[in-house]
Amino acid sequence: MSLSKKAFENEVMDLLGRLHGVARRLTGNEADAEDLVAETVIKAWRCLDTLASEDAFKAWIFRILNNTFISELRRAGARPRLESIDREDDREDEAQFSIFEQMHQPFLLWFSTPEQEFVDKLLREDLDRALRTLPEHYRVVVILSDLEEFSYSEIGETLAIPVGTVRSRLARARGALQKILWAQAQEYGLKGKRSTEHGCHQHEAEASTPEAAQPLTHDHKGNLK
Amino acid sequence: MTEKEIDCEQALTQIFEYVDHELADNGRAAMEHHLHTCQSCFSRMEFERRLKEKVGALREEKVSSKVTGRIKGLLDSF
Repeated sequence: MSLSKKAFENEVMDLLGRLHGVARRLTGNEADAEDLVAETVIKAWRCLDTLASEDAFKAWIFRILNNTFISELRRAGARPRLESIDREDDREDEAQFSIFEQMHQPFLLWFSTPEQEFVDKLLREDLDRALRTLPEHYRVVVILSDLEEFSYSEIGETLAIPVGTVRSRLARARGALQKILWAQAQEYGLKGKRSTEHGCHQHEAEASTPEAAQPLTHDHKGNLK
Repeated sequence: MTEKEIDCEQALTQIFEYVDHELADNGRAAMEHHLHTCQSCFSRMEFERRLKEKVGALREEKVSSKVTGRIKGLLDSF
């Protein structure tokens, strides 16, 4: 499509903060982020004819940013990071990890549960560190979904993957992020309610505990008793 | 119209889609009906929603004048 130079400039300047924010998260430093955004803008201008419509501008330019980042990793020979990008799936236990299942105690009221306190007390630097630790292919979907509020469809367009893959990768990424946060918390001395039942289904775990017989627990269908 | 009933297992598989506002109207209604009746799934949803909010708060939009100047210079050169 034809987009005027003025319209292109406006779109870029409107998205500059978000482009730079994502670039900083991907590269991990300010100088590389600045170069990545500049390279993205140059490439976007040069291939403006590949933009399908003005409505698609956001996903289109973020796709260029992501592809430019991957190309740069390849050029730099960053093998471990590239292996992460090329990898589709990780181990199931990592993907299904849930802090909620480590901490939730069903007999407590929802507004004072340990897992909600855990989230409320999470420090920005802990989250930042955990996000930086995530493998590339997971980090990018979390950034686009949770920080940039992209829809699954927009993430799919940006990363050139089907929506179903976005859905499953995001679930795995969140499991992996929670596993990192949980490991950090344990370094600080936090203990879960049961350290040997990772991946155990919550309701099965509840049914096997004495609390299952108490008020405000669930039957096998999860209904309140 | 009554919502299609879902159980805990189905609710848990859709929990991220719910907090991401990706469920279609019917799916969302069924999920909300389940959340009203199941404290455990409601707590799980609340946990995931709050964690998503926390992660979202890492978003940074501030750009230095140096970066803004460089990009404006680039755009002027096209």
